[in-house]
Amino acid sequence: MKTQLRVDWPSCKGRGLCHHVLPELIDLDEWGYPIVKGPVTKELREDAKEAVRVCPQLALRLT
Amino acid sequence: MNAPTPVPIPTDLAIHPGPALLSGIESGTSLAAHRAQYGALPEVSLAALLASVDALRMRGRGGAAFPFAIKLRTVSEGRRPVVVVNMSEGEPASAKDSALAMTRPHLVLDGAVATARALRASAVHVVLPGDRAGVVAAMEEAIAERSDGVRIHVHHADPVFVAGQARAVLELMAGRPNLPVTAWVPEAVSGHKGRPTLLSNGETWAQVGRLVLVGEGGYRRFGTDTEPGTTLMTFTGDGVPEVREVEFGTRIREVLPEGFAGRPALVGGFHGAWAPWHTLANARVSVDGMKSLSIPLGAGVVVSPRECPVTFTSRVVDYLAGQSARRCGPCFNGLPALAESMRSVASGRGGTGRVEELAGVVVRRGACAHPDGTVRLVRSLLATFPGEVDAHASGAGCGPALEEAS
Repeated sequence: MKTQLRVDWPSCKGRGLCHHVLPELIDLDEWGYPIVKGPVTKELREDAKEAVRVCPQLALRLT
Repeated sequence: MNAPTPVPIPTDLAIHPGPALLSGIESGTSLAAHRAQYGALPEVSLAALLASVDALRMRGRGGAAFPFAIKLRTVSEGRRPVVVVNMSEGEPASAKDSALAMTRPHLVLDGAVATARALRASAVHVVLPGDRAGVVAAMEEAIAERSDGVRIHVHHADPVFVAGQARAVLELMAGRPNLPVTAWVPEAVSGHKGRPTLLSNGETWAQVGRLVLVGEGGYRRFGTDTEPGTTLMTFTGDGVPEVREVEFGTRIREVLPEGFAGRPALVGGFHGAWAPWHTLANARVSVDGMKSLSIPLGAGVVVSPRECPVTFTSRVVDYLAGQSARRCGPCFNGLPALAESMRSVASGRGGTGRVEELAGVVVRRGACAHPDGTVRLVRSLLATFPGEVDAHASGAGCGPALEEAS
């Protein structure tokens, strides 16, 4: 199964740090909340882990 | 200020006698009358119950039509499970669980108790609605009559649309705010206090109760080979909402109340889909059949509004936007924006481009299905009545939907 980034929506406060770390996979909507564009590729795996780590709300998970 | 529900939560209901669940309702709601009709609640083994619900292809009646056998099997594979009867019925246009509470509460409880015994469950939890006082009184009276040797805990949900969502119910049971949270695993795997949790709505438990009491053969007396049994439907038009028990395979036009003929209807409730009259008239009551017609049966709700579908949808989206739990950013920002864009279309101040854009932004981005259901309704309107939508958007007012010929 492909690795996915999942957002814990009630925890997410739209700070946008995940987008700065991983713009290849995460856009922001007009209110600043993340839009996950697709599964995590092997090349982006380390960056995805970093995106999870920098979230101040611990609202991002790799599943 | 939150918009009011376009269909009020019913204070008065017409509940029609039916072939199975709603048979014998003339005898009253007492446990004695229930036992006189059905006899004692038999002990049923987990293996036998699983085999029956599997053979009958029984599905959950809360709206998603999830196979009950899969849930039952899943909860039986872990620690001692918990059984939850979710009577909260957050959808204002649905009143079937209310109808069961007020006519056959012991059928609902029999289903839950028999299953709890078969699973050796630690307890049965009954979740009652926050805005339907008659249901609360009826269920509490019925629970007080029981002595099954199974602990029954009662919880009172908040009077909001999303309070009945499965995770919101588990939050309520845990003593936290009655609002949805992210489900990382299904509640059948890990739910209340981490236990496998078998959570179903009132009608599902009544169907299980009926099965346990009359057996698989008795259950098959109604419905079709592929969809045995009956289902409850709520019809809301001009008058008092009506709850009817309908055999699977019945033509919907045969059970529609007067006044529904020739008009479009909203099928499946506020998270549902629009049906033009010719679609509704030719459809049969069926989970698979109605899904293939893009009008999923859902929880069996059919609403026939007096207004045109565009105006009515706009009012429903206004209401749904106000019912967001205000926890998930895309929902509490996106639904009010979607409601505003729908108002623009309905009043001839804007096109559908913004509606479609917001629908794409909001969908699948929340802890619960509230944004998804709202998007389903809006997309169904655009797909089913493109001419009426365009007429509204261009300021020409209502199109031909209301006068559509049968």
